[in-house]
Amino acid sequence: MASRKKILIVDDEEDIRTYLSTLLGDEGFETLLAKDGEEAWKQVGANSPDLITLDISMPEKSGIKFYREMKADDRWKKIPIIIVTGVSEDMRKFLSSRHQVPPPEGYLAKPVNREEILTLIQKLTAIP
Amino acid sequence: MDLNYKQFFEVMPAYLTILDRDLRVIQANQRFRKDFGDFEGRYCYEINRHREEPCQNCPAERTFQDGLRHGIEEQFKKVNGQEVALIVYTTPIRNEAGEITAVLKMATDITEIKLLQNQLRESRERYRHLFEEVPCYITIQDRDLRIVEANRRVREDFGDVVGSQCYQVYMHRSEECVPCAVKETFQDGQVHQTEEVVTARSGEQMNVLVSTAPIRSAEGQIKSVIEMSTDISPIRQLQSQLTSLGLVISSISHGIKGLLTSLDGGIYLVNSGMEKNNPARLKQGWEMVERNIARIRTMVLDLLYYAKDREPALQWFPAQSVVEEVYGVVRGKAKEVGIEVLTDIDPMAGDLSADPKAVRSLLVNLVENALDACRVDKKKGSHQIRLGVRGYPDSIEFEVSDDGIGMDQETREKAFSLFFSSKAGDGTGLGLFISNKIVQAHQGKIQLESEPNKGTRVTIKLPRRGPMSRAVSSKPS
Repeated sequence: MASRKKILIVDDEEDIRTYLSTLLGDEGFETLLAKDGEEAWKQVGANSPDLITLDISMPEKSGIKFYREMKADDRWKKIPIIIVTGVSEDMRKFLSSRHQVPPPEGYLAKPVNREEILTLIQKLTAIP
Repeated sequence: MDLNYKQFFEVMPAYLTILDRDLRVIQANQRFRKDFGDFEGRYCYEINRHREEPCQNCPAERTFQDGLRHGIEEQFKKVNGQEVALIVYTTPIRNEAGEITAVLKMATDITEIKLLQNQLRESRERYRHLFEEVPCYITIQDRDLRIVEANRRVREDFGDVVGSQCYQVYMHRSEECVPCAVKETFQDGQVHQTEEVVTARSGEQMNVLVSTAPIRSAEGQIKSVIEMSTDISPIRQLQSQLTSLGLVISSISHGIKGLLTSLDGGIYLVNSGMEKNNPARLKQGWEMVERNIARIRTMVLDLLYYAKDREPALQWFPAQSVVEEVYGVVRGKAKEVGIEVLTDIDPMAGDLSADPKAVRSLLVNLVENALDACRVDKKKGSHQIRLGVRGYPDSIEFEVSDDGIGMDQETREKAFSLFFSSKAGDGTGLGLFISNKIVQAHQGKIQLESEPNKGTRVTIKLPRRGPMSRAVSSKPS
């Protein structure tokens, strides 16, 4: 039996972390949690997730900074990242800040559609 | 009369007559004859004024009496009935013995001058009226920016300003503004426009649109500059409200999207908990639903304060009770993050008429701000928040102070603005704005003192008997 795929959920809202973690757990994924960019960075180093869902507006280290650092690091740049955000303004800032950084593998607007996020995660974590 | 004089007498561009002692016209020049007709044997007052008696204060009579020249302004009526304004001079004509035998009367038509003088007076009057009554602040300033004239509105709102420098009057400062529109107009003679914030003697601040224009002498030199300032505060307030409205929509939208995701999560946990017969998950999901409904409720209540000026639901209650209640709510939360909350309650503070829910949410808001200010302050090992209340004969004073991170001047000045938050992603920028609105609705005063790295103190003074304009329920015994 293949090992379970590890999904890192990065969001400052505890309820959203609980929700996505339960939902993905029910679908057979292993979930890791982080409430900001700092924690996310530690989780990546310790557990090498297969995919990351990333909120952008977070109080400590922002999602934009974390994304840029991830995509600039040869060790982790291949980990697919799905941006999950509530404000289109955040997305606009994110896109304009993306100098020399590849685009995210996925982008979902809050409120998240359950089917949509599952389909996207399954597609991005499927073994080619 | 000598022939030369006779010719001169005839063609003079004035009315010339020679009168005898009875004030009969014995000679008249061409111009006089043309406009006043026959003169032979007629009295001057008869010809000039169409009167039967000599005029009072007649200059010719006076010249006959004292031998001196006299001048006077008179109205003559021409033969065609038209009235003309004249300046009349009389000169004695003497015989060889030095006796006055006749008087030469010379009258010059000043009707045009009189007309121009009247027009000038009316024009000045109109200008004065406009200057005084126009609904904006007008001053005339010299090169030293000294006010030499000020209209009624300036005098009413800024006091007796003539002689003072404009920057003292409008800005309460001791140095001129940079750039200064008046100085620029003095330099280039052009109209300049700028926007400023001025402070009236009442302390009220106004946004004004300032226009300056040169006032030139007849030689074209700029001798002073007129400065006109229009109060555009209502426009700026409206503009700020519209900007805020855009921000509120964006902020609500962001908040609601997050809340919907969390609610959706709660529903997922409830449903899947039931399907999987997992009561712990069901409970967790239900708590998520409850928590997020409570958040929506708070958000809506906050927005109601923003959306309209809600009238406070007044009732009498002990000031002490609301402070104790807030202390009970925040103490636990503060302890979790290692912050101590102390109370300083005046047991004789007494009752006040206010909206207890609004006052409670006002104090909770301020304590939460204090908690945040302490939480982010990593420089100190421990922090304290003080929550106090004191009673005065006509008012109740609440105080929330902390020894947290403090605010710099800019943060202090913007603290009560809508959607201004110094807390990065953590703040909505609604808290202090709404606190201020609650205080205003109670006709109270809010004061903020703060220093970076030292802390912040917010003092709120509410009238004990509630806002004056609203009906207050009778005080319980």
